[in-house]
Amino acid sequence: MTDYLRVDDIEKYYGNGSNVTKAIDRVSFRVEKGEFVGVMGASGSGKTTLLNLLATIDQVTAGHIYYETTDITELSEEALSEFRKTSLGFVFQEYNLLDTLTIEENILLALTLQGGGKKKIEKECADMMKLLKLEEVRDKFPYQVSGGQKQRCACARALVHHPKLLLADEPTGALDSRSAQTLLETFSGLNKSMGATILMVTHDAFSASYCSRILFLKDGKIFYELLRGEKKRGRFLQEILDVLSLTGGELSDAD
Amino acid sequence: MLTKLSFRNMKRSLRDYLIYVLTMTVVTALMYAFNSLIFQNGLTGYYELEGLMEIMIGLATFFIVLIVAWLINYMVRFMLEKRSTEFGIYLLLGMKKKAIARLYMRENMLLGGVAHLAGMVLGVFLQQVLTAVMYSMVRMEYHLNISFHPGTIGMTALCYGGCYFLALLRSKRRFRKMNIQGLMNYRRQNEEIKEKHEEARRILLPAALVFLLLFWTWFGRLSSTGETVVFLIGLVLTIYLFYVGISAWIICYVRRRGRGIYQGQNLFLLRQFASKIRTMQFTMGTLTSLFTLALMGASIALMFSEYENTMLERKFPFDMQLFSDDITADFAREKKLAEESVQIKEWYQYHIYTDRDNQVNTWMLTNLDCWGTMYQREDGEPDEEKIRQMLENENIYYLYDTYMGLSDYNYLRAMLGYGQVSLSEDEYLVQVKERLAGEVEGIGEKLQIKGAPGKYAAQEGTSQKSAGQEGTTELLRCGGILSDPFSQDGHNGADLIVVVPDEVLERMEPYYTELVAQFMGEPAPDLQVRMEQLNRQDGRFLTDDYFGGLCCGSDNIIVFAELCLVRDNLIPQVKYMLAALIVPLFYMGLVFVCVAVTVLSVQLLSDSAKYRFRYDVLGKLGLGREQLGHLIQKQLAAWYLCPALLAVLISGKMILFASERFVLMTGVPVPKGAFFLKSILLFLGIYLVYFAVTDITFKRNIEQKQVS
Repeated sequence: MTDYLRVDDIEKYYGNGSNVTKAIDRVSFRVEKGEFVGVMGASGSGKTTLLNLLATIDQVTAGHIYYETTDITELSEEALSEFRKTSLGFVFQEYNLLDTLTIEENILLALTLQGGGKKKIEKECADMMKLLKLEEVRDKFPYQVSGGQKQRCACARALVHHPKLLLADEPTGALDSRSAQTLLETFSGLNKSMGATILMVTHDAFSASYCSRILFLKDGKIFYELLRGEKKRGRFLQEILDVLSLTGGELSDAD
Repeated sequence: MLTKLSFRNMKRSLRDYLIYVLTMTVVTALMYAFNSLIFQNGLTGYYELEGLMEIMIGLATFFIVLIVAWLINYMVRFMLEKRSTEFGIYLLLGMKKKAIARLYMRENMLLGGVAHLAGMVLGVFLQQVLTAVMYSMVRMEYHLNISFHPGTIGMTALCYGGCYFLALLRSKRRFRKMNIQGLMNYRRQNEEIKEKHEEARRILLPAALVFLLLFWTWFGRLSSTGETVVFLIGLVLTIYLFYVGISAWIICYVRRRGRGIYQGQNLFLLRQFASKIRTMQFTMGTLTSLFTLALMGASIALMFSEYENTMLERKFPFDMQLFSDDITADFAREKKLAEESVQIKEWYQYHIYTDRDNQVNTWMLTNLDCWGTMYQREDGEPDEEKIRQMLENENIYYLYDTYMGLSDYNYLRAMLGYGQVSLSEDEYLVQVKERLAGEVEGIGEKLQIKGAPGKYAAQEGTSQKSAGQEGTTELLRCGGILSDPFSQDGHNGADLIVVVPDEVLERMEPYYTELVAQFMGEPAPDLQVRMEQLNRQDGRFLTDDYFGGLCCGSDNIIVFAELCLVRDNLIPQVKYMLAALIVPLFYMGLVFVCVAVTVLSVQLLSDSAKYRFRYDVLGKLGLGREQLGHLIQKQLAAWYLCPALLAVLISGKMILFASERFVLMTGVPVPKGAFFLKSILLFLGIYLVYFAVTDITFKRNIEQKQVS
């Protein structure tokens, strides 16, 4: 298999002089195409910092991040914007849908920013809404739909332009358990049916059990890696919980 | 503790609503500077119309207090809404409503106090500028004089306090009504976008545009009060309903998936704009009204300003000029009075003559634009009866046509430094006001002015002959039309005088007497007043209907009907009178525009803080910094331009109509659109300052978030 995403010895420091905090400390890993990778860690372990570095919205202090052959640490600001537009998709805990746009328009906007003809945009939008079962609420505003529907809309918006990588930051954090499960099944489905590569940051073991591989972060370093392989999800969940018990289970999203 | 809290909150508000505080500072400074014209203008004792400036500034202040009170009230409500969750928490913590109200009021008073103090300091400097401008307007020398008058300070504080009192009066009630649940949900309620009956509402946009078209077509033709009232109601409705229409129209366009939404960030821009307009539609209408009033006020002020800059010197070409309807007048007392006041360089006394005909007046009344068809019959011929009544009852044109001998004319021209003119014995020339020069070009074709008695045409074909009383008399032909400034507001004719060879005057009779003088220096400031007192002693009390036999011509809006004109006394008087109109109009215009732009800016900046995540999302969707910058600029431009453009559309017609009449009636030598354009440019400056500050702050707010 070829490396789809390659993280090479990256470091991220905050502060200066004697007051330096190492948020990410010499982290390296690879993600293959079509993988569904989870990142877990305690509060302050650096998982959101890592996500921001991969998302190109923060810059590394040292090291390189390659998307296929492109080293994003070498790109200019404008090139990074273009890269984000074409290659990345984002899903946030707080949905971050634009409140003045309807559900359908939120998805449309992602496509119009890419450019393209009206017919192509409409078709892709309709396909995505169908895939994520959003047709019934297409004309509703975000405040008029449920949290699960909002998050599905955020997924649709993130995936509609077929990005290289979908970055999800605690996507189930604001959802009830039923909606969370539906969303995670959607992620799994998209991962399998569309071959979407997903990197999800979560502190929730249940959510993480849907991933094919999990990276555990501690003090800015990867201290453990767990592969699901052919295991059932229940078993994988148990393994995750076992790893967490080693860290004291103090996971939260405060970093 | 509460004092400390309110002080801290005030500091935070000072930072968050800096534009509002700056506007209040500017408003205070303007109030201080303009109020100083009432209490310490240093011009007291020089002008007949002394109270006028005070009255006009007082009147302007009344409207300004109302509008500034509206701004404060708007801001108090706005801040309350933004901080509703915070107040909800205070209630949850057990604070009483009264205590919260007191806390909030105290904060607002502190905020207002800071702006007021800063404004007073700025006002002292602005006062110097304004006073210097006023002095230069009325031709007096100004020396820098920084002083404080308790009246100015008191009135500024009173006006400012009045604004706050009016604004906060209603806010207390708002606090009485609030509850924790309401406060916690206040912001959320506002975020909900309600789209109902958009298809029906959409019609309001074309309806408003059709009304505006009608307005442009019919405004100048409104003749009755009823029509005017209907149009005014239509206009107010248009101003307010336009925004309902435009927001519905955009929503429908987006819903219909119009082609434009598929291009770049248009979908975001259109939705943002429609949503903002929808939540602000009533305020937008009010802002449009403010812009309209400001543009109209500034244009009118510019008209009068242009008049005083270009026309006043031309109105009074002679140092002094006196009129008497007594043909035997010798002006002995007036001469003596003048000689006591100033050294006389030259006197010249002459008669204006008449042939007891009114063909010139008839031609003027039936051909000048300002009279329209008022004195024409349906077949286009002169309505003799109406003309007779007009000449007998109104003091505009003399009952009979006025003539002047060539030698008198050339003498007067020499006094004014103009070149000499010559006439052959079969010619006359027309001396007319500059503003009418273009309109009287055809007058020579109609007039039948008889030559000197017993004279016969020298050349066949170049003159006409008609039967005269003393045998066949030659008819003179028009030898030219001159329009040099010649004091034609009743002195050297009303609007126009016909200049004929001296021999022609033999068949005419003296009509009235004129005396002109050129001085060696400046006369005493009260010469004009003393001359008028002389007239009063003679029982000649000039009233609105009686000008002592003088007919002032067709100038309108600003009319000079004076038996005696002392130029160096009159010009400052007139300038002072005009300043009493110009200054308050600019004052109101400035405040109105500042208030309106502040509301626009505060709305946008508040959004930039509240909805930062929108731009964060757009950034993650791939919009670069530069693209985001352009997007914000487009958003700001649409937001700023919308009410201004509507105001330009509405005020444009009224201003152009008024300018056209003004130019026609006063003869100001500028194109009619110039005032409108200048007033737009004037406010564009203020607009651009606010736009730039908002643009910078908006981007900074968003970037702060991205950094954090």
